Amino acid sequence: MGTDKGGTAVSEGSLSVSDGDIERWMTCAFEMAADALKGGEVPVGCLMVYENQVVGKGRNEVNETKNATRHAEMVALDQLLDWCHHSDLDVKGVCKRTALYVTVEPCIMCAAALRLLNIPVVVFGCRNERFGGCGSVLDVSSAGLPQTGSPFRCVSGHRADEAVEMLKTFYKQENPNAPKPKPRRD
Amino acid sequence: MEPQTKRWKGSECDTDSWVAYPVLSDEQSQDVELIEAFAAPIVNKKETSRLVRELSSHYPLNSLQHIKRVRAVKAKGSPHPLEVLVCLVSDAPDMTVVDIKSLLPSDKVKPEGLGEPFVVKVPARPPLTRPQFELASKHWPTSFHEDKQVTVALKGELFGPAQKSMMHTYMMSAVAAARAGHELGMEAVGAVVVDPVMERVIAVGHDCRGDHPLHHAVMVCIDLVAQSQGGGCYSFDKYPTCTFTAPTLATTENPPDSEGSSQPYICTRYDFYVTREPCVMCAMALVHSRVGRVFYGAASADGALGTKFKIHSQKDLNHRFEVYKGVLGEQCEDLSSLDQTKRNSLQEKR
Repeated sequence: MGTDKGGTAVSEGSLSVSDGDIERWMTCAFEMAADALKGGEVPVGCLMVYENQVVGKGRNEVNETKNATRHAEMVALDQLLDWCHHSDLDVKGVCKRTALYVTVEPCIMCAAALRLLNIPVVVFGCRNERFGGCGSVLDVSSAGLPQTGSPFRCVSGHRADEAVEMLKTFYKQENPNAPKPKPRRD
Repeated sequence: MEPQTKRWKGSECDTDSWVAYPVLSDEQSQDVELIEAFAAPIVNKKETSRLVRELSSHYPLNSLQHIKRVRAVKAKGSPHPLEVLVCLVSDAPDMTVVDIKSLLPSDKVKPEGLGEPFVVKVPARPPLTRPQFELASKHWPTSFHEDKQVTVALKGELFGPAQKSMMHTYMMSAVAAARAGHELGMEAVGAVVVDPVMERVIAVGHDCRGDHPLHHAVMVCIDLVAQSQGGGCYSFDKYPTCTFTAPTLATTENPPDSEGSSQPYICTRYDFYVTREPCVMCAMALVHSRVGRVFYGAASADGALGTKFKIHSQKDLNHRFEVYKGVLGEQCEDLSSLDQTKRNSLQEKR
């Protein structure tokens, strides 16, 4: 693979994603999100693509694991790591040639995780006004954080309206696992 | 366990060696911002209430609700005892030569009893902490709704000896976990999760990023807490120091369907003790986990609970929590130097 020596030579943004790539992989991501919504899950679809193959796929697993960090991106990153181990490939080498496609802007936590693994490009649909880490609440993707991997490039807005509609539909339903909210007097 | 306690002989109950200070929001910790305004002496004290009434109606100073309209002149021998705020300098932008009549429309505010105006700087925002209040008051008197807990915390006096002793024990356990992790080649970072109501340790964990690049100590502990509730998605069985205890359910005291019943939900109301300031990922993971409070020992370069960001007090986020730093500060700083030594020796090998 010869991935060891490329450390600084392969700079961020060197991984290009074409319009065709975006169309193709975001279609998959939106199908996943729609499936999640049908199953009563948070409608976020996400996949990690390395050299034209899907090496990680995720959906939100917070409720079944009781672990609030099990966002779709974190699940997909775990699959990518497993895939590297099974394929006997160097994680760093794979990550720097992997793009993430996700229907909703990654949250602050996921954005930092993507940095820590040096993922160079993130393609997302709609903004995440509640938690977004690529500009909406904070911009972790480009912040000066020398100890937190490398910044990544964002391509945003693909089918954003659709992604928002799915989220709205979901949040109208109730989360049965959340504690009962105290009545508010506004 | 034995060697660790020996290594830190003397510090076991030495709670005077550290002070926990709160990590406040930017709004609470920033300098006092000033804005220029025109004030004028009240030369005839009997006119004061009329002047205040008429000025407040003509120049309501809506953005400066915290500012007192009138101040007493403390300097001895001053010809006038009171001064009143007329308006902001920005309220009278075209004024080249300022005299009191040009500031006041004669039909609305009668200038009787007022001397010639002068420019003062007044605090632009309401003070949120006692230090801000004291600084602000040097410029112009303001009102102050004191949060007593913040005042006490800023003095480092929020936690009494009994509480400090508990905190000391919990952080010692986090330091021990960090050292255990370091022995296994991980970064020397440890964390302990506590249910402060039951005074019970729920989980102990250390950095495991040798196995998984995202298994920072906080992430490990969040999963251990999930495991304590019958969830979780990793196994840390091969790390004897990474442990969890199922929470004791206070079911006998609460009827099962009562409001706020004993069933724990992720990390709600739990305290995290972490040897060093969490990174952005871990800090946001704590927000998602709805943690109660976070205590850390040493700051970190990219830390997100005070150094680079203050994610615990970030606007727009749906959960906020208190953060205190400096718990067992010295011992936690020492852990960072362990990592530094490791990094240097790795670089030498290359």
